[in-house]
Formats: sequence, C-alpha cells, structure tokens
Amino acid sequence: MTGPPPRARMIGSMPFPFHPAGDDPVPAAVRGFSRAHADLVELHEDPIHVVARHRAPGRRVGLVSGGGSGHEPLHAGFLGRGMLDAVAPGPVFTSPHNKAVLHASRAAAGPAGVIHVVKNYTGDRINFGIAAERLRMEGVDVGRVLVDDDLATDGLDTATGRRGTGATVVVEKILGAAADTGAGLDELTALGTDVAAASRSLAVASRAQTSARTGEPAFALDGELDYGVGIHGERARASIPRPPTEELVARMLDELVAGLPDGPDDCVLVVNGMGATTLLELYVLAELASAGLTERGLTRAGLLVGTFVPALDMAGFSLTLTRMQPSWKDHWAAPAETAAFPRRTEETR
Amino acid sequence: MIDQDAVLDRFARAVEDGHGALTDLDQHSGDGDFGDNLRAGVRHAVGLAERGPRRGFAALGEVFLDEVGGTSGPLLGLLFTEIARALTTAHGATGASGPADDDLAALASGARAGLTAIQRVGEAEEGDRTLVDALAPAVAALGRDGYAAAATAAREGAERTAELTARHGRASYLGERAKGAQDPGAVGVALLFWTIATVAEPGADLPSPLPAAA
Repeated sequence: MTGPPPRARMIGSMPFPFHPAGDDPVPAAVRGFSRAHADLVELHEDPIHVVARHRAPGRRVGLVSGGGSGHEPLHAGFLGRGMLDAVAPGPVFTSPHNKAVLHASRAAAGPAGVIHVVKNYTGDRINFGIAAERLRMEGVDVGRVLVDDDLATDGLDTATGRRGTGATVVVEKILGAAADTGAGLDELTALGTDVAAASRSLAVASRAQTSARTGEPAFALDGELDYGVGIHGERARASIPRPPTEELVARMLDELVAGLPDGPDDCVLVVNGMGATTLLELYVLAELASAGLTERGLTRAGLLVGTFVPALDMAGFSLTLTRMQPSWKDHWAAPAETAAFPRRTEETR
Repeated sequence: MIDQDAVLDRFARAVEDGHGALTDLDQHSGDGDFGDNLRAGVRHAVGLAERGPRRGFAALGEVFLDEVGGTSGPLLGLLFTEIARALTTAHGATGASGPADDDLAALASGARAGLTAIQRVGEAEEGDRTLVDALAPAVAALGRDGYAAAATAAREGAERTAELTARHGRASYLGERAKGAQDPGAVGVALLFWTIATVAEPGADLPSPLPAAA
C-alpha cells in the first residue's frame, strides 16, 4: 500500500458528504427540485432558470427573483400561484449571470411587465440591473424591489446599505398576492418597496456553515454566538457569550423594534432557521418571540416558522418583523400554491 | 463611414497587443482577469461575426452580455449593444454605412445610451475610478468634436484614474493602495475609442492609450 487510491482521496476531500461528483450541487439540486415539484414548476437549462406552471388569470405583472444558491428553499420554493413566476438560481453564494435573469424574466413577463425582487448585494444588483437594461431594449417594462432588511448592517459607514435577508419571503408573499389582483407595475413596485422598508431582520449563529474550501466551519465560535451574522456567513461585528434563550430573544426583539421605522403595531413575525437548527428549537423561539411581541405592545398579524432563508448548514436563526399596513393583511393571508410557503397562514386557519 | 468589421478586427488586434498591460493593471487593482476576459470576449465576437449574421458591435454586444464573466465585461456589453442599436436605427439592419455625419451622430447617441445604462446599473459617477471615467468624457467629446477628440478624451480620462480612489468594484477593497495605476476597465474603453478613431480617420496619428507592460 502506497497510500489511499485517488478516488478515496477525492471523496474524503468533499466538504459536503452528499454533493455529486464534481462537487457543484446546484444543477443536480435544481433538477431534483423541479422533478419533485413538476406539478408546480418547469425547469429550463442553459441558462438555468425555473418557471412556475400556473399563475392567477388576473396577474398582469410577472414576479422574478433569484440569487446565489445555498439559501434553499429560497427562491425556487416560492414559485407558484400567489408568489413568484420565475427564478434564476446562481452558484452557491454567487449571483446568477445576467443571462439567466434575462431568460427567467422573458418567461415571467406579463402584459404590464416584470418586477425583479433583488436582495441587496452588489453582484445581484449588477446582474439583475444588466438584465433589466436588456429587457428595456426589448420593450419590456421592468420594476425593481430591493430587499434590505438586515439590521446588523444598518448605519455602517458604507454606500452599499443593509443586506437583504429573511424579509425576502414576506416581500415575495405580499407582492405575489397583490400581483394576483391585477395591480400594475408602478403600484407593485411601490408596494414591495414599502414592505421591505417596513421590515427588519436580525440573525445569530451558534456554528458557522461548512466552508466549501476546507470542509470545516467557515469560522470558529468556541461556544459563543455570532450576533448579527449574514446569510453567507459574513461575520457579525461582535461575538457574544451565549445568553439564556429567553434573554437572547428579548435582546433581539428590543433591537428590532428600535430599528424599525414607525408604523402600525400589527406585525408579521418570521422565525427562520439558518440551516441546521431543529424545528423543535424554532418553535420554542416562535413561542418566546410571540410572547415578547405582546409584552412590547405589538400585535401579531402573522407568524411564519421554518427554514426559509438559511446559510447552507449554519446553526442559528433569524427573526424578521414587518409592520403591516391594514391593506397588506389580506395579501399575507391569501393562499400560495408553492413548494415551500405554508399554504395557509394561521389567520386563514 | 464607419466600417464595423474593420473596427472589430482592429479592436481584436489592439486587445491582443494590450493583453499583458491590461493584465498587469488588473493585478494591481483587481483580480487579474480583465485582460483574459476582454481577450476571450473579443476573440469569441470575431468568430461570431465571421459566422454571421451579427457583425461588429452587435457581435461584441451579444458575446460580452451573454458569455463574458465578471462585471465589467457585461457592462461593456451594454455599451456595444447600444452602439449597435443606434447604428442599425440609422442605417437599417444590413450594416451598410451611410453618410459620415450620420455615422458619427449615431455612434455618439449609442455611446451616450450605453453610458446611461452602465451608470444606471453600476451606480458609478465620474471620479469613482471605473470605466465611466474614460467613457463619460469620450461621449461628451464624440458628439461635440468627433472621433479623434473622443479618443483623446477617453485616453486622458483613463490616465486620470491612476490618481483616483475606488468606491465600486474590487478595487474599492484596496482603497488608496490601488492608486498609481490606471483602472483597467477605463483603459479598455480608451482602447475602444482609439480603435474607432483610427478606423474612422485613418490619417489621424493618435497615441495608443495602452501603458507599457511592466
């Protein structure tokens, strides 16, 4: 024996144990997703984009989103009647090419145009922006809703602004239901922008996601929490000793409420897992955060619990609060026929 | 009369000649792939134009929008595409060239539309150390004073980027450290306007915007 055979070495070096040979999981995963939900979506390759099979007959504006992969079920899981019309998944943590966004948008565009729901990252802004310019050259009207809800990046001395994270699901849900009423491009763009502006999120990690380069956690936490972590494992400004869960939730809610612009007391609360946190824990967090809202004089217009915008296999969670205008509540409660959004919110029961 | 085939061929030669210098510049301020991306895109566009029916700027536009990686490649694709559209509007889809004044006006309006699109997408202003620092003065000079003036304005704009601090793109991570060398995207734009001028006015003796390779 002169050492392990090459094949064993290759498998041993794969940072994620169940990635396919070659180690790019995205094309195979998108095919698998499309096969599993063939009643809802249709896969297109070269460039990869996924298109919803059904849309409300009254919808005049197509809704398109996309971004780096590693945040599943975002965005393909929200394809379907009541939410998105097409998505462009990029490589892991990397913006899709403008060509994929262009093809998704062509497939989704309605008679009154198409809206891009874009999380605020430079690569996504540029690639969706180039696709939007190309669509305009083709005579398609394009609107953009930028989601920038991450409180941890608020007020940093930078021109890039807050990151887009968990509120993306709230924006896509409300915008989708509003689009089904036949609303036009400008009205929907303004609505989506308002929903994003009324939303703030905060995320904590107890263990970093696995690095695709080393197979180890992307950063070490040594029993502490990264408080204000990003969905690509961007480090927070501070790590903190682990407080009791009740104290952690209270601190996060205090900061979210302080960071939100003024608005109605009625809030949607999203308790989102970062990839490796159990539902058992997420429901504990939902119960604590729900009670915390009441203690702060806020009412709950909706509660969404699950893993919707993770960072690969990071252990942690995020809380999102959206101050709900009265006219948004029906949109939140409307059914969504998608792979990942619970068809009925608690209010529709 | 602007011969689009000649522009593409001459630009391809200029990019081959400039590959080393552009790579040096990008290794100074970016991730070093700008020379490779530009050369690969131009080579691909030459092949596409030979197969037809797209020629010149339309071939460049399609390749740089669809195939070229990074961000400056697709942004240049918007410029090529807007120029192609303006020339097509002026002369029809055949690519036949009309009177010289029409060409200059069409090129100027296409380049202006390209600049507008690039700024809308990239959110860069003049002075941010991007390709806009070469493109904006070139667009202004082209409509006013013609091809040679645009080439000179682009070259001087690119030269000024050596003294600027980046706010966008990878060079922004380096801050002051990127100073001293020109922005490679701006030099690429200057090379394009130099190429257009040497094709449109063969008598003009314009200095190349390429710095000597290190």
